[in-house]
This record gives sequence, structure tokens and C-alpha cells, in this order.
Amino acid sequence: MKTKVVLLALAPALTASGAAVAHHSFAAFFDPERLVKLKGTVTDFHFTNPHGTIGFEVRGADGKVQKWRAETNAPVMLMRRGWTRSSVKPGDVVTIEGWTSRDGKPYMRLRQAFDATGKPIGQQPFGQSDR
Amino acid sequence: MKWIRGSALSLVLFAFPALAGPPDLSGFWALDVQPKTGDPALMAKLPPNTAVLGDTGANEYPSGEYGGLKPKPDALAKAKKWKPEDEMTLQRVCAAPSLVYSIQGPFPVEIYQTPQLIVFKYEYFDQVRIVFMDGKHPPESAPHSKTGHSIGHWEGDELVVDTTHFAPATITNNGLDHSDQIHVVERYKLSPDGKKLMATQWFEDPAVLDNAGARYIQWVKREGEHVFPYDCDPSLAVEYQQTEKLEDAK
Repeated sequence: MKTKVVLLALAPALTASGAAVAHHSFAAFFDPERLVKLKGTVTDFHFTNPHGTIGFEVRGADGKVQKWRAETNAPVMLMRRGWTRSSVKPGDVVTIEGWTSRDGKPYMRLRQAFDATGKPIGQQPFGQSDR
Repeated sequence: MKWIRGSALSLVLFAFPALAGPPDLSGFWALDVQPKTGDPALMAKLPPNTAVLGDTGANEYPSGEYGGLKPKPDALAKAKKWKPEDEMTLQRVCAAPSLVYSIQGPFPVEIYQTPQLIVFKYEYFDQVRIVFMDGKHPPESAPHSKTGHSIGHWEGDELVVDTTHFAPATITNNGLDHSDQIHVVERYKLSPDGKKLMATQWFEDPAVLDNAGARYIQWVKREGEHVFPYDCDPSLAVEYQQTEKLEDAK
């Protein structure tokens, strides 16, 4: 399935606080000023604490596939936002918005995800001051 | 007649609230992200030379910021060497913090209260803490742990919890660790309508800090909810380690 990068942009300045803390510090690990939004195809979804993760492949404009991973808030928190273990499945086309890790890896903290129709997954995004 | 007896009892309890017994803190409590300032009466009881941290709830300090805490040189040097990637290993990713850090976080807590014991069942890392209300201090042989050993007493409507016997763990989740000598005092009280639980957490650790630290934390009551099992799974570390840098980023 063909996917592409739909947006890669710097976000307005955000505070140094995190979308939510679990085991590691958001502020130290992720760049709160670098918000990206990528469209790709899900390869795996792990719904486990301290963080869930969504692996997904993004096809760039040059046709090359980039393997990304989005770390979610703790699933105990996702469940309270309407997420389940089957909210995302391998093969699903999703668009994921999140803050990238500071180490340069294609690894991000999920702010919000959308399904192939553009419908948000879960009830609301994870922001700067929510849990 | 019953009405008269009931009214008389209410009048006595209003005039002498101590006769009504301590407040009931039982229930499910979720972090209140709204308060910008602490309850003035609780904050006024914090000792001098205390730095009030601003990392309660969603806020966190980035590397190198400790919210006004004054680490001793050895502790500061160790903290400066810390890198966030260090936590993303199989050995570290499910290492629970102590209650010094974990009670301020986004995860809820259930409280069960009896005259002898008060139990705090935290969602974060499935931690369970017993507050002994019998006034007995722990024996020196008591083990140190991430939940420590807590004794409590009531001062009017405030629950005062004194905790020692912690195992070393993070203070600010960015490399600054407390020692096993840290001493924590918490004060809990209900809002007048009983819908909010307010607390200060004060701590001193002369082996690590030249001043004391404190946080203000507030929770809101939610009926009918329960903490979920946490069951930390360290495979996250493997997933992170297997994520390779992009070709153009190498």
C-alpha cells in the first residue's frame, strides 16, 4: 500500500512539559518543539505499560520506506481515552502526530492518531497538560 | 424524638468536630491537573529552606534542571552524567521509581482507610503502600523499599504521614537520585466539599541535598472507578533499541 509523508514541520514553541510521564521523562527524551505528522502503514501495535508503541512504515517522496515507531502514553491512560488493544492493527493506514525523540531516531511520542478515513483514534489527543 | 436526637448529635459534631472522627479519605482519586497554586494552609506549613518543585502532574524538568533543589557536588556530578537513553534498557525500563517521585504523576490511586491502617493502592507500577496508624516507628532492621515505611497520625482534619526506609530512586526523573536516608512528610486533607484531596509532600535528604524539597499535589474523587493493573513490560526497550536511525540522519 502506498503511503507518504503528509507533513513534517516544526511546531510553535511548546513548554518543556510532557504529554504524560510514565517511566522516562518526556522533557528529557522528546523534543517538545518538534511536532511531526506522518501517514503510514501499521506493522505492529504493542499495548503494554509503561508505554504502548505503534510501528509503522512511511513511504517518502523518493519512494523509500522509513520505519517509524510511535510511543504512546501508558495504556492504562489510553484506555481512559477510549483506546483498546484492537484500536490499531497491522495493515491499517494511519496518520500519527507526535513529538520526535531528541536522539534523531525515527521515534516519537504520540499526540494523536487518525484512521484511514481521518477519524481520530480515541476520544481526544494527548496534550501538554493532560494525562 | 428521633429528629430531636439527630439534631442534637449534629449540633455536638458541629461544635466539636473531633468527636466526628477523622475524615474518610477512602475512594478512587485521579490527579487534578487544574490547580496552579497550593492550598494556602498546607503550603504555610512547609518548613523554611524548602524548594517547591513545579513538576507535579504533567510538568517535568528537562535534563539539568532540578526545580530549585540544591544537590551536593557528588549528586550533581552523577545527575549531569545521566542521559535519557540510559533508561531505555531491559534492566531500567521497568525499574519503578520510589513514592518520592511516583505519587505526583498522572496515575490514579485508591485509598482504603481503617483506624489502624490506611492503604494507598497506586496504579503506577502497581505500588501498594500501608500507612501504620499505631504510632510505632519501624525497627532499624526494616527493609528499604520503593514504597518505604510509613507511619501516620491525624492532626485535626489532616493526615500526616512520615516515611523513611526508602530504597534509592529518582527525585525528578532526570538523573537526580535520592539516597536511602531520605525522609518524607506528607500532609493530606479534603476540600470542604470532600471532592478533592489536597496534599503536600516534603522531603529532606542530607546525603544528597543542601536544602529540602516539596510538591503540592491535588486529586479529584471519581466514584465507581478503579486503578488498572500496570504489569510493566520491558519489551519497549527492545523496540526502541531496534529502531534504527534514518539514513539521512546518520
